Amino acid sequence: MPAIYTVSQLSSHTRQTLERDSALQDLWVSGEVANLARPGSGHSYFSIRDGSATMRCVMFRNARGAHYLESGASVILHGRISIYEQRGDLQIIADIAQPEGVGELQLKLEQLKLELEQQGLFDQSRKRELPQFPKKIAVVTSPSGSVWHDIQNVVRRRYPLVELAIAPAPVQGEDAAPAIAEALQAAANEPGVDLVIVARGGGSLEDLWAFNEEAVARAIFASPVPVVSAIGHETDHTVADLVADLRAPTPSAAAELVVPDRAELIAFVVGAAQGMDASISHLLASSTDTAQQLERRLQNALPDLDALRMQLDDRLRSARQLLGHILTLNGERVAGLKLRLESLSPRDTLRRGYAIVQRNDDGSVISVHTQAAADDAIDITLTSGALQAKVTSTKQA
Amino acid sequence: MNEINAGSSNDELGDLTFEQAMERLDSTVQALESGGLSLEEATRLYEEGIGLARMCSETLASAELRITRIRTAHGEQMRFLAEDSAGYETTEC
Repeated sequence: MPAIYTVSQLSSHTRQTLERDSALQDLWVSGEVANLARPGSGHSYFSIRDGSATMRCVMFRNARGAHYLESGASVILHGRISIYEQRGDLQIIADIAQPEGVGELQLKLEQLKLELEQQGLFDQSRKRELPQFPKKIAVVTSPSGSVWHDIQNVVRRRYPLVELAIAPAPVQGEDAAPAIAEALQAAANEPGVDLVIVARGGGSLEDLWAFNEEAVARAIFASPVPVVSAIGHETDHTVADLVADLRAPTPSAAAELVVPDRAELIAFVVGAAQGMDASISHLLASSTDTAQQLERRLQNALPDLDALRMQLDDRLRSARQLLGHILTLNGERVAGLKLRLESLSPRDTLRRGYAIVQRNDDGSVISVHTQAAADDAIDITLTSGALQAKVTSTKQA
Repeated sequence: MNEINAGSSNDELGDLTFEQAMERLDSTVQALESGGLSLEEATRLYEEGIGLARMCSETLASAELRITRIRTAHGEQMRFLAEDSAGYETTEC
């Protein structure tokens, strides 16, 4: 009894067999596009055929070169063979499409781009901001070309505050790629460098080839400071451009992009000074206004000084009169009081024949008979002179 | 060369880089424009701002591009354009 497979088992086994063949997993095929369909998913479903055969193809959304797919177009596809098991279709899963007729170099390039893209070297999320006021810019380029000359001129005109350091490297030829990679590394790690420009003038795809090499892409990716690429003309897009933090269309444009414009900075400083003048003048004017208003209000609030002074004089005059009057009155009162005091003085009384009797022992005045006893010594003060006596007896009056 | 060496009366301002001086100038202008300052504070800011503006414009007016050369493996054998070759300083790395 032979082995009987289920359809699923057979389909799966066939798919696995195809997928084990490395030649079928990394292949290029050329042909004409037919029956192209692009449903809402954005993926492309089509056939590729030549005079005698047809194969089903699928190309996922965002695959490189999907825009080259058009019904009837001759293309070269890169991809792998697989089986769509639900329908039993043998199909090519394409990841690169290029128009028919491009050279081998271009196909190699597309393959490298795909690889580096998958490794994240082109990710937008890793593009860094350029410093606003760079201090030292390293330029990786040929020292003998017009590129270096142009960059110097632009930077000198726009922002001569910077230091421009060339990291010389050949920009074409077989040795160029490793030399550029090495110069990039030296430039990016040079003390003080806060930006690197890697630049080359225009040329053919072959001339620019060094900038499509993986070594250069890796060196740009590894740079600790932002890298601006300016390679060839505006229409050239090298791998270096894709990895760089910013791509400039030309070397001169790169120089324009990396430094601020001195004329604009001077205009800013002048504008700032004018703005500060306007602010402080406004503040001073409004402060002066306020002070003047306050002064006016203060003047209005003050009473009439002359009238006050007259009033004050009047009051002083009457106060002085009053004082004189009071003094006179007081003088009279004092004289009267003096008379009264004198009349109360014991001297007057003594003069009239009265005497003051005091105990000899403690000097206390004796006004009642009980204050003394027989034999007590007493002093008798007269209006003139005194007597010393002894009590013989006491009696109630 | 970005250091501002213009003879400033304010030592603290004299230590600023060009970038720092520009930023400070910008914030000083904004502080003055936003108002709400006492006359004393505004006058102090104004004097500082005018000093900064003078330093920045002097730096911008007097700066001269400095060209140096970084040593690279192939650089020593490379020829510079004759008109550019004068006045290079080679920095050691």
